[in-house]
Formats: sequence, C-alpha cells, structure tokens
Amino acid sequence: MMGFLTLVKREVVRFLKDAIDTIAPPTISVILFLLIFGVGLGSRLGDVHGVPYVQFMTPGLILLAIVRNAFLNPAYSLFQSRWYGNIADFLVSPLSVEQIALAILLGGVARGLVVGALVLVAAWLLTGVAVAQPMWALGYALAVAVAFAGIGCIVGLWTRGWEGVGAIDTFVLDPLVMLGGVFYSLEMVRGVSLIEPLTALNPFTYITEGFRAVMLGGAEAHVLTGLVLTLALGAICVGAALALFRVGYHLKI
Amino acid sequence: MHTPAISIEHLRKTYGNLVAVDDLSLEIQRGEFFGLLGPNGAGKTTTINAIVGLVKPTRGHILVMGLDAVRDYRRVHRLVGIAFQELILDGSFLNVREILIYQAGYFGIPPRRARAKADELLERFGLWEKRSAKVQELSGGQKRRLVLAKALIHDPEILILDEPTAGADVEMRLQLWEMLQDLHAQGKTILLTTHYLEEAERLCQRVGILHQGRLVSLGPPEQLARERGQAHLEDVLLELIRSERS
Repeated sequence: MMGFLTLVKREVVRFLKDAIDTIAPPTISVILFLLIFGVGLGSRLGDVHGVPYVQFMTPGLILLAIVRNAFLNPAYSLFQSRWYGNIADFLVSPLSVEQIALAILLGGVARGLVVGALVLVAAWLLTGVAVAQPMWALGYALAVAVAFAGIGCIVGLWTRGWEGVGAIDTFVLDPLVMLGGVFYSLEMVRGVSLIEPLTALNPFTYITEGFRAVMLGGAEAHVLTGLVLTLALGAICVGAALALFRVGYHLKI
Repeated sequence: MHTPAISIEHLRKTYGNLVAVDDLSLEIQRGEFFGLLGPNGAGKTTTINAIVGLVKPTRGHILVMGLDAVRDYRRVHRLVGIAFQELILDGSFLNVREILIYQAGYFGIPPRRARAKADELLERFGLWEKRSAKVQELSGGQKRRLVLAKALIHDPEILILDEPTAGADVEMRLQLWEMLQDLHAQGKTILLTTHYLEEAERLCQRVGILHQGRLVSLGPPEQLARERGQAHLEDVLLELIRSERS
C-alpha cells in the first residue's frame, strides 16, 4: 500500500508543483467562458429553464474543467514517463501493474476535481450559484473524473508522440464536450439543423444534463440517465486501461 | 546447495525476424560477481531487461532466487536492484534527494526510513552537496552515481548493472569499480554487462560471452583466456567474433 500511495503522491505533486502550467490555464479559461458568455452575453438571454443563464451554464463549465484535466494529467504523465524512460522506475518496483494504473488514474481524478472545485468557487463568487445536492454532485463529478482519467490512461499508453494527446483533446474531447450541452440544453436547439442531431446523439449531452440536474435541482430521470452513462463509460475505459497495463502495451517489449 | 541467485533456462527473445537472445541458459550463484560480455547487439540488455520483466520472453524461463520472474514479478523486484545504461531519472520536478525518497516509497519503505536511507546513500556516493539540485544540474558522473544509489535504495540482494561505466572517464571508472567491489564484499550478487573487457577481468569471478544472442563462452576470465591461448579476454572475444563470421 505504501508503494501505491507514493505513486499517487508523485502524480499529484507532479501537477501541483507545476500549477502555473497545469491548474492556472484551464481554470482561467473556464472562468473567462463564465464571464464572457455567462455574465456578459448571458444577461441578455434572461432565465433558461428557470435559472439565470450564467447559473445554467455553470455545471457544464465545471464538467468541462473536470473532463479535460482528468484526461490530460494521466495522458501526459504516462507518455512523459514512457518518453523519458522513467516508467521503468515503477515497472521494476514491487508495485503491481494494476496499482501503477490506478495511481496514475487517481492523479488525473485529483487534478480534475481540483480544477472543477476552483471553477465552482469562481462561479459562486461571480454568480452566487449554489449546489442543490452537494454529496450527489461530488459523487457524480468523481464518476466523470474517473471515466475521463481512464481515457487519459489509454491515450497515454497508445500515443507514440506528444501530438497524440493534443489530437485526442482537440478532435475528440473538445467537440464531444462543446456539443454536449455545456452552453445549451437539448430543448434550446430543437429544430436547429446539424446542432440538434449532433447534440442528441452525443452521450455527453445526457451526462451534462444529469450533472446540471444534481447541481441546480432537476428531474431525477436526467440524473439517473447521466449517471448510468458515466458509470458505463468509466467501467469500459478503466477496464480497457487496466487490460492494456496487464499486457504491457507500449510498456514492455 | 543454495538455489542460484539467477537461473535462466532456454531464454529466447525475438523482435519480428530478429533473434535478440537465442536459447540462453545460465546460472548465476548467490554472492557471485558475474559479467555478461559481448559486442553491441549481442543480447546483453535484452537479457537483463527480461530478468526484471521489461522484456517479455518469447520462450524460456527466468528464476530469481527460485521465483519465476514473470509470475512472481513483485517478489522478484524486491530482490533486484537495476541500474540502467541510460541515465533514466525522474527529474522533471523532483530534486536528487526526492528521486531517492520516491524510489524508496515505490518499494514500500515508510517515509522516515526512506529519508534516512536516501541521506545515507547521498553521503556514500558523494552526492550530499547536490541533494537539492535538479538532475539537469548534475555532471555525467554524478548522474551515474545517482542511478547506482537508486538501484540500492531498497537494499536488494541482487544488483544488475547495465554498462555502469559507459562514458565515464578513467578516474570515475576507478571510483565506480571500488564501489562495486565494496558492494560485492558486503555479499551482494552482482550481474554486470559491459564491453570494457578490462572491467570484467578486474571485477568478475565468471563471465559469459554473448554473440548474436547466443552464449558462446562461459567461465572465469583468466580460464577463458588460458583455454584459448590468449593473454586477455579482449583477444578471446575478438577470436570468437571472427570465428563466428568465417
């Protein structure tokens, strides 16, 4: 257990020591979204589903922060350790491959939740938004962070170059999240060609709606659908990451 | 009779059509100082990486103190410390002392003992003054010593060293030889790969010569030279390589 905790600590210290590159930029960019689209343009939109637009978009922005940071941390940490060769430090230790995988994954979960919490604090200061069901919201956020940290582990093992992580971030995660109801609900884009089908077919839309319902108070059906999708995604991604670690994919030759 | 420290049985490793190690069988006894020699590409690094599980054997088995290196890899790793040829150091955000403390942690050593062990090794390897430095600030020789200290952090019974003096100047090489002799005198089993034949002659009780993945000669260095009517291992190695080519 000591070995596992040491590796978890390494993963957390890694992003905390470099907070100016790992924590500050994503937090600031999401806060800018909140200010410009929420406080600024949002004031012209009035209420959306019974709450001011800036509060409506807050849960989506928190998820955006969690998703990207939970993904990026394990992806870059794993690839960096492979690239420089220091992954061997873990592989020749008595840590099991499952412990190595979970420690790296937890580093991502920690960074996702830290940035998510900072965005929540900023949103509360700017808009006074409150969390309707704090424990459920935390559990939901945790599940999302685990799922996307699992994707980060897979990408960190799969990629053969630094650009691989950036490519998945830009071409997969960004469209998935941006078209997944962060800035609007499915009802708001009914009849809008292209956007409505892309949003309706995007599973992240239902994950966002579920988190919004937990945070702002909303239909239980949304929460349940979102949570089931998140847990299923998490089970698949964490399971796949563990399987790749077990076979030594891009770790052992 | 004791179980050998390392027992390699019919090890074969291929990368596509390339045979890196071909039916290698070898025993290294406890407390032995053993050298694995051979030209570049002979299969030395592949063999030691297979012992610590970084290379998956295509065929064959490796036992470390009687434990299967694949099935019982966690217990095997507790027994083995490895210093890689490349100076692999987790130095992006850790300083020299932290590198050793974290490495101790991965081996389950509690923080207080880890700090004490790290400090002891920093003193022993002349790195105390550099304890707060980043890896990038170290000289080649200091990095080499740090890699060796890292391999010793959990006080392993078996020490594996892949080209430990590669790129070292004469003075540093002599210093490292002295350190290795001390460790051997303390009872450590040492497996060393090298292509400095003088190093093998000075340090090793037995050597195995690998060529194109196959073990072509095995025995004490002076015996190998005598049997082949040569003065030094270097001549033995050259003769073996030439005879393989012809």
